[in-house]
Amino acid sequence: MTRQNILNTLTEILRNLLFDDSLELTDSTKRADVPDWDSFAYVNFIVAVEMHYNIKFSVAEVESFVTVGEIAARIEELAGL
Amino acid sequence: MLFNSHFFVFVFLPVALFVYFALGRLSRDWALRWIIVASLIFYAWWRPANVFIIVPAMLVNFTVAKLILYYGREEKPAATKLLLTLGIVFNLTVLGYFKYTNFFFTASNDLFGSSFVFKEIVLPLGISFITFQKIAFLMDVHGRKIDSFRFQDFFSFVLFFPQLIAGPIVHYREMMPQFHSVSCRFSQTDLSVGATLFFFGLFKKVVIADSLAPLVSSIYMMADSGQTVSLIPAWLAAVGFTFQIYFDFSGYSDMALGAARLFGIRLPVNFNSPLRTSNIIDFWLRWHVSLTRFLTAYVYNPIALRFTRKRMAAGKSGFGRNGASLGAFLQLLMLPTIVTMFLSGLWHGAGYLFILWGLMHGIYLTVNHAWRLFANRKWPKSERYEQIMRPLGFVITFVCVAASMVVFRSLSLDTAANILAGMAGMNGVEVPGGLYPLVSWLGSVFPASFIQPGLPNAAGMSELGLLLLLVAPIALFLPNTLQILDRFEPAIGVREAGEPNLLRFNVSWRPSLVWAVFVIAIAAAGTLNIGGYTEFLYWQF
Repeated sequence: MTRQNILNTLTEILRNLLFDDSLELTDSTKRADVPDWDSFAYVNFIVAVEMHYNIKFSVAEVESFVTVGEIAARIEELAGL
Repeated sequence: MLFNSHFFVFVFLPVALFVYFALGRLSRDWALRWIIVASLIFYAWWRPANVFIIVPAMLVNFTVAKLILYYGREEKPAATKLLLTLGIVFNLTVLGYFKYTNFFFTASNDLFGSSFVFKEIVLPLGISFITFQKIAFLMDVHGRKIDSFRFQDFFSFVLFFPQLIAGPIVHYREMMPQFHSVSCRFSQTDLSVGATLFFFGLFKKVVIADSLAPLVSSIYMMADSGQTVSLIPAWLAAVGFTFQIYFDFSGYSDMALGAARLFGIRLPVNFNSPLRTSNIIDFWLRWHVSLTRFLTAYVYNPIALRFTRKRMAAGKSGFGRNGASLGAFLQLLMLPTIVTMFLSGLWHGAGYLFILWGLMHGIYLTVNHAWRLFANRKWPKSERYEQIMRPLGFVITFVCVAASMVVFRSLSLDTAANILAGMAGMNGVEVPGGLYPLVSWLGSVFPASFIQPGLPNAAGMSELGLLLLLVAPIALFLPNTLQILDRFEPAIGVREAGEPNLLRFNVSWRPSLVWAVFVIAIAAAGTLNIGGYTEFLYWQF
């Protein structure tokens, strides 16, 4: 499993949430860069990611992620990838 | 001490800076300790006894945070969780005692007919902000976002006077690296950027907001006295107060950014032209940004995460292409949103109307989210969508915000209902005498009493109307301070927030003679108006 695989999975999850097949997440994508990726969609995204990898983020982590790369890195740590 | 006071501008700030730079030449550590001392003087100025409330509370927080750190290293999650809970309960209890005791008595007397007698409790300045900041700190220590901190670090983080009494609510992790690396030396750039921000803010506060305040107040007083407020004055009251609080808070936020920058420190963005938005979700990402960030992180997220996890684990539908049900919408979206905004209302003030204000925004946000879910499916983003929804959304958002501000400003439910009814045209229309002949024919369409000539207190109202025509474009169209100064990163991460304004032009500040003259003029207008009529809206929290 590479970082790119994780990014592809995250992209897929967010596309399904926002009904937007044109969006593409990279390590440097920020939440504000994606239209409509608001706090509600973010929580849904986080839980979908948790379900997919069978992991759980802490509240402080959820708050502190700035880029998608930070989320991916934490997934690698938590899922032992 | 108020930012908009002669003592702050001409004595406190220059002396604090001078000593800071002088000590900075000898020892950075002492310069940073001086900031703590200066902040305590700043805080004690209004009521020295307050220091004996916040300092012990800080010592408790410091000890709890150290214990969380210790048990975290020992890998004892149950102990750290218990300590975190105790710490949060402690902070909320202190806040609750000072801010909500009397409101609790009122509510209890109203609901259960009890007869509590009100206590004389003086609210320590800025306690709402300080409390939230300390809770965020404990959460960060617990979440291992902070792995070490010194006594001095913690005190400068909480007490740093530019953000002490009315925000922005800052995070330890965004402040401490700055305190650890700031040079504490005189810097021409920091000084001129800081002064520019400060005086732009002072101007917004004392020249614009304070000019609107008495004119707006006179309409609210009219409503308080029971006189019905007709269409035009009602809209003037709503729009007038919206711009008053806008310039008040925007001005305060600029002053905070500027005062911090003089010391070489950047604060986070707190205010970013919120009235230019076309939806209420975005409004809250621009209005009191640091509060939204706090409430989202520590109220909304935990509630929404818990419910969403439960629902998903039970295999029920979520959102997006996996389908969405009404149940999911109510539980995962509406409930956390309303609870969060209810608490936001209560945080803003201990009173029924603040709670109502919060609930209104909770409903606005829920409707906005429902629309997003609907529009995502049925009306994918297109140029046409933007053409229609941008202006329409702007108007809807502005009217919703203005209506909520009536509730925020009113002293009683009667006043709020009076003005809101007036806005809806239910109190009839009074037309200024000169314009009456032009619209008198409407008298045959509507009931005769509906349209009347002559505005009560007409002079004050036309003045307010003209003033609003003058200042509204500043808020709606001109580049804001963050944009003007974007090359100098006026707030943390602001370079990234840069975006074109409606007129698609930007004016860039530079250290030049023309700008110096302009800023001096602004500063002169600001300082000369200090001491007039003033109400600092965000000060009382």
